[in-house]
Amino acid sequence: MKLTRRTFVAASLMCTTLLSAPVAMAEPGAWSDEPVRIVVTFPPGGTSDLVARLVAQYLDTEFGQKAVVDNRPGAAGTVAADYVATQPADGTTFILANNAPFTIAPTRFQTIPYEPVEGFTHVAYIGASAPGLFVQPGLGITSVDDYLAYAKENPPTYGSSGVGSISHILGEAVNAKLDIETIHVPYQGSAPAIQDFRAGVLDTFYDMVVQNSDMIEDKEAVAIAIASPERNPELPDVPTFAEQGYDVVIENWVGLSAPAGLDPAVADQVNETVLAVFALPEVQQRLTDLGITHTAMSVGDYTTFVEEQIDVWKPLIISAGIAE
Amino acid sequence: MPEAAVSETDKTSHIGWQGAIGSALLLGLSLVFMLGGLQLGLGSPFRLGTGAFPFISGLLLAGLSTLNLIIDLRGSQLAEVPDWIGFLAISAALAIFALTAERFGLVPAAFLTTVVASLPDRSLPLFKKVILGGVVATGAWLLFIQALNLPFKAFVGV
Amino acid sequence: MDILSSFYGGLLVVLEPQNLMYCFAGVFLGTFIGVLPGIGSLAAIAMILPLTFYLEPTSALVMIAGVYYGAEYGGSIASILMNIPGTPAASITCIDGYPLARKGRAGVALFSTATASFGGGIIGMIVMAALSPSLATLALSFGPADYFAVILLGLVAASAVANGGALRGISMVVAGLMLGTIGIDLTTGDLRYTMGIPELRDGVHIVIVAMGLFGVTELIVSIKANVGGKSTQKIDYADFYPSKQEWKSLFAPILRGGSIGSFFGALPGTGQTIAAAIAYAVEKRVSPQRKDFGTGVLPGVAVPEAANNSATQTAFIPTLTLGVPGSPPMALVIGALMIHGITPGPRLLVEQPNLFWGLVASFLIGNVMLLVLNIPLIGLWVRLLQIPYKYMYPTIIVLICMGVYSLNNNVFDIWLTLVIGAAGYVMRLFKFEPAPLLIGFVLGPIMEEQLRRAMLLSRGDPMVFLERPISATLLAITALILIGASFAAFRSYRMTRNQT
Repeated sequence: MKLTRRTFVAASLMCTTLLSAPVAMAEPGAWSDEPVRIVVTFPPGGTSDLVARLVAQYLDTEFGQKAVVDNRPGAAGTVAADYVATQPADGTTFILANNAPFTIAPTRFQTIPYEPVEGFTHVAYIGASAPGLFVQPGLGITSVDDYLAYAKENPPTYGSSGVGSISHILGEAVNAKLDIETIHVPYQGSAPAIQDFRAGVLDTFYDMVVQNSDMIEDKEAVAIAIASPERNPELPDVPTFAEQGYDVVIENWVGLSAPAGLDPAVADQVNETVLAVFALPEVQQRLTDLGITHTAMSVGDYTTFVEEQIDVWKPLIISAGIAE
Repeated sequence: MPEAAVSETDKTSHIGWQGAIGSALLLGLSLVFMLGGLQLGLGSPFRLGTGAFPFISGLLLAGLSTLNLIIDLRGSQLAEVPDWIGFLAISAALAIFALTAERFGLVPAAFLTTVVASLPDRSLPLFKKVILGGVVATGAWLLFIQALNLPFKAFVGV
Repeated sequence: MDILSSFYGGLLVVLEPQNLMYCFAGVFLGTFIGVLPGIGSLAAIAMILPLTFYLEPTSALVMIAGVYYGAEYGGSIASILMNIPGTPAASITCIDGYPLARKGRAGVALFSTATASFGGGIIGMIVMAALSPSLATLALSFGPADYFAVILLGLVAASAVANGGALRGISMVVAGLMLGTIGIDLTTGDLRYTMGIPELRDGVHIVIVAMGLFGVTELIVSIKANVGGKSTQKIDYADFYPSKQEWKSLFAPILRGGSIGSFFGALPGTGQTIAAAIAYAVEKRVSPQRKDFGTGVLPGVAVPEAANNSATQTAFIPTLTLGVPGSPPMALVIGALMIHGITPGPRLLVEQPNLFWGLVASFLIGNVMLLVLNIPLIGLWVRLLQIPYKYMYPTIIVLICMGVYSLNNNVFDIWLTLVIGAAGYVMRLFKFEPAPLLIGFVLGPIMEEQLRRAMLLSRGDPMVFLERPISATLLAITALILIGASFAAFRSYRMTRNQT
């Protein structure tokens, strides 16, 4: 079992290296005798935590690299990021990087105790999921234009996963783009917001689109737009904001980053190993189930990506009115 | 046990107005939260402000504490005889864990915490306290790091 | 509906050898992890979560559920033996459980909780099997105003659980509400009472409050009482079994507790705590032994345990059928299912009948296992009390430190436990009890959230609380209880005044 799986990994890896030409030629495999810690910015149970546990598990079974998940939630992810930034860069500590500490906190808070780009070695990009706008089917709204016309007349309520969450920032970005005013009703996470939406308490809500495909199929909610650059292959019928003439793109990404100063050779090797894990079809399937679209990136590409994302998010956070 | 309970009640009964210190402390705390709530802003009924809920609960607690205070002033008793040595030992034990857990690691922290906590007990000679500390530290290492695989560090290089 | 045949199908799923094994492993691990102070069901489930990636979804869910109620039961062991509740619901078990242990009846108390857990679990299972769809609808018909009203009722019930009198009880509940506002405001994102300390941004963790108020305080109090060197308690190790009369006195409380628990468990977010508090408060009114509640009576431990365990089972209803996790452990359950490609929601009952009914049937099997596993273990737990206290209490303090530290891996939490423990000790000297505070603390933030949401959605009209039938009814009941209690309090006050 194990052997065949390994050979399969090797084969699929050869394919990826052949396709994505000049990436570093590191060998995937265990890079540390000590167990590696993947610090997660959220408590157990969320998508980030599940991705981290997935990586940890497959690093061990596929490559014999022991890994444990270390949840250090708090202060919008800055507790975990600060902790990782101050750890030795010996390849044993990583953070499951995401928007909260890296792209939202730098603009939202006046001071943060770490440098989001230079303070880390950004090692491997994992993937992203996109949020969208859901409205009550009874309102007869099917497009952003319909929504705009409706909202001008009666300011609707919208549920988000909380103040400063991605769904809140998207909600305010849409409000700004459409020049409308709505009533923001924050929840703790998307599940209770969806419960109130189902109960008819809320007119609309923002949340990750693929995770709610059941509601869309059952016609319990109409997803009028997704905030990704292109339509999601899982839900080809949901149009993007951009194609309806409103340029709003927000994606919720995750990656793996280490403290600054990690040996480039080790960084390349970790990158290769993590990519090998995500090349496994069963892991791909689990990512898809979580609504995450995986993209392979090199260490350099991922670092540039984080840098760019800070600038992408900056105006969004300021217009959402959550910057301190 | 019953005899002990009787003698304790004797020692603590009818300490007079001092029994109201607890209610007074609560009253003070509630005033702090009320003032803080006012500063944070009460908002409007439509959008209740950040300070509204703490202000309301502070107000309620202030009222209740005043009632308690009036009743306690008529004479009350402590629930039990204070044991400040035990109080200090347990506080010091927690403090020593907080100070050493990340600097020296889990095993030394558990050892020191055990020894400090057992200090007020005169029936246990010091070397036995050290042995107890060693046993607890080893047990903690086996349980939390080996068995439960928690992300603690057993030792941190000094 | 042919519930019985569906249940039979579920039973067949659970009786497959590997599912039986996972169920047992879950219950076993859960009990042992749950016994450790500060390490509750959440940590236990998080630990075994990666293991479940490799299992069939049903096996995974059965194992996680086993860990969950195993850990909840394990938590009651620490409550009774050491007065250290792992969860707010278990703090109610402490009220009578710990005095029982002090009387040398820890074995009987543990036997009663094991039985009550079993009874409550079975009631919860029956309710889940028979009423899942309708309870899911009930949860959906609860709007923010209704949640506010049900929490208010729960808080009033919680103030009645205290021994120091209703006035002190309510004061502690309100103090809990107040302290619960420390940290970031969920509605605006502003900081409240954090004094510039970043670790306070997210508020104080409930486990820290519980460990400080119960664990630390209890240790300080017990040192003097127990450290003399001699073992103070005489325990008859053969005597775990309640007498025939006590058996009889347990039956009705378990039934009442289990029924109350199964109803409130189905409300996401508030279930177990409110269930245990209300069940205890009701029992304190109707029990023939009501006068002795708080001094160590068996119905006093049986009722909250039955309510808690029954609510633990029915908490799976909103989790599975609405996809709404009421508690952090339930969020992990949803996560575990999502990793298997199963999205909890209204479709789950139809699309995954084996999963749902397998879980329901596993409650039966798991609760039997819990009972079979734990009755022999009672002897072991009680024997722990025989270890001289001078060895025990330093060990307990290390366990508390580890449990608290494992929450966020941050030593600040230890300092906070120290501060809360010290404050709790002082308040205890002045006869203010921790259990109502803990309940106010855990329910306060939810109450505030629902209140503000209700006002936001009604555009600022407070009439919404009286217009909605559910909330109006609940508020009326609450008002009646309050009026009744204040009359009683006033009368007893006048009586004591006339005496002196």
